[in-house]
Amino acid sequence: MIKLNLTLTKVSKFYPKEICFAADVKPALANLSFDLLTGQTLGLIGANGAGKSTCIRLMMDFIRPDSGTIRIDGCPPGDRGLRHRIGYLPEVASFPPNLTLSDMLRFVGATHQLSKARLAEQAERWLRTLDLWEVRKRSLQSYSKGMQQRASFVLALVHDPELLILDEPMSGLDPIGRAKISALITDLKAQGKTILFCSHILEDVDRLADRLLILHKGEKRFDGTLPQLHETYGSQTITQGFLRAIGEEAVC
Amino acid sequence: MLAATRRIGALARLVLVDGLRRYALLGLVALALAVELSGLFFFAFVPRDIGLVATDFIVTAGWATGMIFLFFHAVQVMSWGENRRVIHTLLSHPISRTEYVLGVFCGLLLLLLLLDGLLAGLGYGVLLLIKSWVSAGYFEQLGLAAYVLSWAGVLATQMLLLSAIVLFSGMLRGTFTVLLVSLAYYLICNGLPVALEFFREGAPLMRRFLQGLTLLFPNFSVYDYKGLVVATGKLPALPQLAQQLIFVLLYAVLVLTVAAAVYNRRDLK
Repeated sequence: MIKLNLTLTKVSKFYPKEICFAADVKPALANLSFDLLTGQTLGLIGANGAGKSTCIRLMMDFIRPDSGTIRIDGCPPGDRGLRHRIGYLPEVASFPPNLTLSDMLRFVGATHQLSKARLAEQAERWLRTLDLWEVRKRSLQSYSKGMQQRASFVLALVHDPELLILDEPMSGLDPIGRAKISALITDLKAQGKTILFCSHILEDVDRLADRLLILHKGEKRFDGTLPQLHETYGSQTITQGFLRAIGEEAVC
Repeated sequence: MLAATRRIGALARLVLVDGLRRYALLGLVALALAVELSGLFFFAFVPRDIGLVATDFIVTAGWATGMIFLFFHAVQVMSWGENRRVIHTLLSHPISRTEYVLGVFCGLLLLLLLLDGLLAGLGYGVLLLIKSWVSAGYFEQLGLAAYVLSWAGVLATQMLLLSAIVLFSGMLRGTFTVLLVSLAYYLICNGLPVALEFFREGAPLMRRFLQGLTLLFPNFSVYDYKGLVVATGKLPALPQLAQQLIFVLLYAVLVLTVAAAVYNRRDLK
């Protein structure tokens, strides 16, 4: 397997920057290092404030690290060429307020330089897969939360990216929606896509991820497969292993 | 370069379409059109200088609409990034932060062009009607060139203000803060000529300082040409107009360059 793509080396990030001078300030991320192999699905898990979203925003170049380096296929994450190869799903689906999904797809097609025919073909494929074909010309504001989440998926997938970065892909979805997205991620895995996703729903991580990365208060607590987690912490379930990894075993 | 232009165009189109579908903005346009049309009924109450007052009324209605557009719609659109995190959705595709700044600016400028064009068109119709109803003495002329120039002046001030709003949106957090600072900027721009007038004689150092400040806070009153529309006076000389146009373009380019630099440096949380 080629060692690729996403590498974080000793990445640290402090929020907000001004209070770094205070003695007791904890970083949002501290010396985080990991890499992601081609075709692998990495589940990023952690409690609220663990640094999952910070980690993803750093990889997307929305924020910049205070120290350390991030490389995707040898390039810094701000490299525009990389954007053609990355599909990103934000934690909360966010669109300009008065647009339709068709408007957004036209924008995505233009930025990725997709031909009209290619855009139409890809858009129809994903809109039908995610049951949004009939509502593509309706205002995105009128969509339910689940529909907005699926719309974000369409925008992340329409340019056929190699690497998918998904921030809470199951957030706000009902059980049917969750099942659909879960099936979609499984399908994308089967296609050989490299996927990094973060989630609070450990059952989903258990089912979908090849490898787990547990963060706690900005620090890496575990990086490995589920059997390795059980072996390291003597756990029976992912929840038990996770809680032991972050030192919250008493919650069990 | 062509690819970058396409990306900027795609984003500008999003901003344009979003604005055209915004009910509050459509309501504002309808209100502005109604205000312009109301000129047809109220000019009869004006005792003298009907032509001058009617032109002033029409162009000022357009200017006020543009200000409301800038301080509410433009400030809100610029805060998409922070409030709605729309900027994450947009920048996750191959569009740089500089292109984002330019795309949003161009989209808003296109909306302003449409708004001014619509109001200028209807306003001219209203003025033609009023001219045909009153005695010739009230309208020495209704110069189309001067009328277009007066609207170009309105657009120039709007463009200067818009570029400043884009910059403030990059530098500050929160829609309300951006709104307040933009309003303060506008007031300073309007207040500087008054201060300059106050120091017209004496205090050369202060006068020079204030003149220097007009490079940062442009004097909007120099773009006010509405007085020329009905007067028979000549239009300003071409070199003077060219100088003003160059200043507006240079100012906008410089401010947008700084705005792009700010956006490129800041964290988009």
